[in-house]
Amino acid sequence: MEPSLDTSAAEAPEPPEARVARRIARSAPGEAREAEAELYRLLAPRARRYGLRHLRDAHAAADLMQHVMALTLEQLRNGRLREPERVLSFVLGACRLTVMDLRRGERRREELLQRYADDLSIADVHVAPRLDHQRVADCLEQLPERERSVLLMTFYDDQASDAVGRQLGLSAGNVRVIRHRGIDRLRRCVEPARSLS
Amino acid sequence: MSAAPHLSVETLLDYWLHETDAPTTDAIDEHLLACDACGERLDELVALGTGVGAAVRAGMVSAITSAAFVQRLAAQGLRVREYRLAHNGSVDCTVAPDDELLVSHLEVPLQGVERLDAIARLSLEPDVEHRLHDIPFDPRAGEVLYLPKLAQVRRMPAHTLHVTLLAVDGSGTRELGRYAFRHRPWDGA
Repeated sequence: MEPSLDTSAAEAPEPPEARVARRIARSAPGEAREAEAELYRLLAPRARRYGLRHLRDAHAAADLMQHVMALTLEQLRNGRLREPERVLSFVLGACRLTVMDLRRGERRREELLQRYADDLSIADVHVAPRLDHQRVADCLEQLPERERSVLLMTFYDDQASDAVGRQLGLSAGNVRVIRHRGIDRLRRCVEPARSLS
Repeated sequence: MSAAPHLSVETLLDYWLHETDAPTTDAIDEHLLACDACGERLDELVALGTGVGAAVRAGMVSAITSAAFVQRLAAQGLRVREYRLAHNGSVDCTVAPDDELLVSHLEVPLQGVERLDAIARLSLEPDVEHRLHDIPFDPRAGEVLYLPKLAQVRRMPAHTLHVTLLAVDGSGTRELGRYAFRHRPWDGA
């Protein structure tokens, strides 16, 4: 259950975002547009993903992404990020603070958009895939009854295994096993060329 | 992108469904900020979940489910048409144009049942028998909830659907209940 997540490998090559962040920090404000666009392309999808997970709303996640990226670029341009190579830590911290602010309702989405409107859409960003719903439905119909029920109840409104188990007379552990098997089958059916394992 | 090992699908799903504890969630947040491969895998899982939700809302999927699940859908604003059939009962049924979910409650004694199967026969195809194997159930519920494919039912002419619930165990199969749905297309009433 507990994943090994040591991201501080001493001998690891420098990640591209650190290199790009340093380039922005060394340039005069506004003179590293290309590097800024590259940093946006690298980090914006990750910030958006963080927002989706923690805010559960696509619009709020997009706003968080824009806010965090604008803040990050602003800090780099003005030399206020003392260690630009640690830009990932800054972005993570900014994501966490923004989520807390949004949850407290101190910073409304409209305010964020207005404040950072100039920095929106700096570059094309990775967009999460969209699946053909008819294909998903056809593949769901091919699953065994238990797997279909568990996936439906899990994914319709993001129910955890213990909640699904209580409703279907199954243990949480059993739901997790069925869920994993079902997702693997569904994924193979929806996108046969790819595998989750 | 990241030197750390990639996250498993189970871990990503636990994370997405809030089944990880706070330290693990923080560690995964940090990993995903550095690892596009894991991030894109999470995106694919989320897209799969979105696809499942959309298929349900479009009435394109049939499934056994629970009363709590149906209540949540209704609370979210979905227009739900429900039919409740007593043990061995029957019902006249239809689908209105604005119905978004069709649910059948089949009352059935489930105590002591190890495995539950269902057999469905449609009057339009009298020679065809559809068997649902090992359907999930909560013995305490005393009912089975079935979501048919609403989009398909809506297009069907008048017909009768016969459903038989069967208990299956090591000694064989025994009938638990029989039900009949007499469907008529919506006539505006």
